[in-house]
Amino acid sequence: MRRRPGISGLQTAAAARDQYRSLGENVAKIRTDLMKEQLATFRNQLEEFARKHKNDIKKSPAFRAQFHSMCAKCGVDPLASNKGFWAELLGIGDFYYELGVQIVDICLATRPHNGGLLDLEELRGLLAKRRRASREPITEDDCLRAVSKLKSLGGGFEVFTVGHRKLVRSVPTELNRDHNLILELAQVHGYVTVQEVEKELTWKAGRALDALENLMREGLAMVDDGHPDGKRRYWFPCVGSAATGTEAVESVLSSPN
Amino acid sequence: MADFSFPYFYNYPPYFTLQPVRDTREKQVELWKQLILKYCKHHKYFVVDLEEGDFPLFANANIDRKLTYEAREVFLGALVSEGKAEWMDKGHRRCLILWRRIQDWAELLLSFVRENGMEDSVMTLEEIMSGDETRGSELAGIDRGVLIRGIKILEQKGKAAMFKGQATDDDGVKFSAH
Repeated sequence: MRRRPGISGLQTAAAARDQYRSLGENVAKIRTDLMKEQLATFRNQLEEFARKHKNDIKKSPAFRAQFHSMCAKCGVDPLASNKGFWAELLGIGDFYYELGVQIVDICLATRPHNGGLLDLEELRGLLAKRRRASREPITEDDCLRAVSKLKSLGGGFEVFTVGHRKLVRSVPTELNRDHNLILELAQVHGYVTVQEVEKELTWKAGRALDALENLMREGLAMVDDGHPDGKRRYWFPCVGSAATGTEAVESVLSSPN
Repeated sequence: MADFSFPYFYNYPPYFTLQPVRDTREKQVELWKQLILKYCKHHKYFVVDLEEGDFPLFANANIDRKLTYEAREVFLGALVSEGKAEWMDKGHRRCLILWRRIQDWAELLLSFVRENGMEDSVMTLEEIMSGDETRGSELAGIDRGVLIRGIKILEQKGKAAMFKGQATDDDGVKFSAH
């Protein structure tokens, strides 16, 4: 379109802009409508899929994870409510609800030993042992989903990362950054000394002791004064080596309450 | 006798230090109490000496840790409070572990006598503690003091009567356990 100077030129430009705009809006509307339609079709197909593969979803963790991913893509949350189409069709709400109850159970039973922090891998191992009867394996993903549902119920359930491990917290006490750093340091040997903490984290005297004493008061650390070198060690049952940890936790679970 | 298997906490160093935090301490005491009872029952130990080095359970060479006297006193004291042990001296240096109650020992003795048709017989204390008759039974290895107290209970029920022999070795008991 040739630009023409003068008022009529301006009017033509304005009219052109308007035309483009409405065309743009139309295109946008068409695109949205098309998308809605596609989404609706996709949803239907997803429902069909879920119906057909109900057992696979229940039995295979990989399948389950993929299914969740597909649902997320089209904005469906199968766990959103225990009633409704999805929960009824798949009983998936029940699955995670049940898992959540078992997780709470295990966390409560192990709290005297670890102060309310449980290594996620250990939790998985214990769940597997508990659920030996049903042959549905539990993945980290399953645990994380169940815990996030628990989180929304309150009570302090949370998963957080320390170093290279994930821990499930089942007490309301939150750990501050100082505590987290200490936990990470403790992962190496299962314990730390005041000097070690001061050296590795370059803290002033007093800060390390305060943090460690705090962690001890919260039940997350135990003191050990028995080493021949005379230095007090603070041990952290929640980050101990996986072997002793699981053994410890199992023992706690199997002892009469 | 099967090997004694130690629980997980026995190899975790901090459990050998008395924990200052109350809840942690309670859990620790509970674990040690159960361990002491189980251990003594397994080995048929009756008397625990709190002095350094005398009772093997209180030191774990694998992790190079041992309980202080204070810790030993706390754990055993907890057993005493529960009626599962008794201090043998005011200084709390020796402790009698009742991993089986005296009255249950008395019952056991009575059952043994009946099962072996010894209702009217006589046995020396030594024979009961370490003789052929009781070999392999629960009674074998029983502590002399515990045995005497058990017999006293049977005496009160008219099922037995103790007598003194020429020498301590001959001290014995006559059963009338019908």
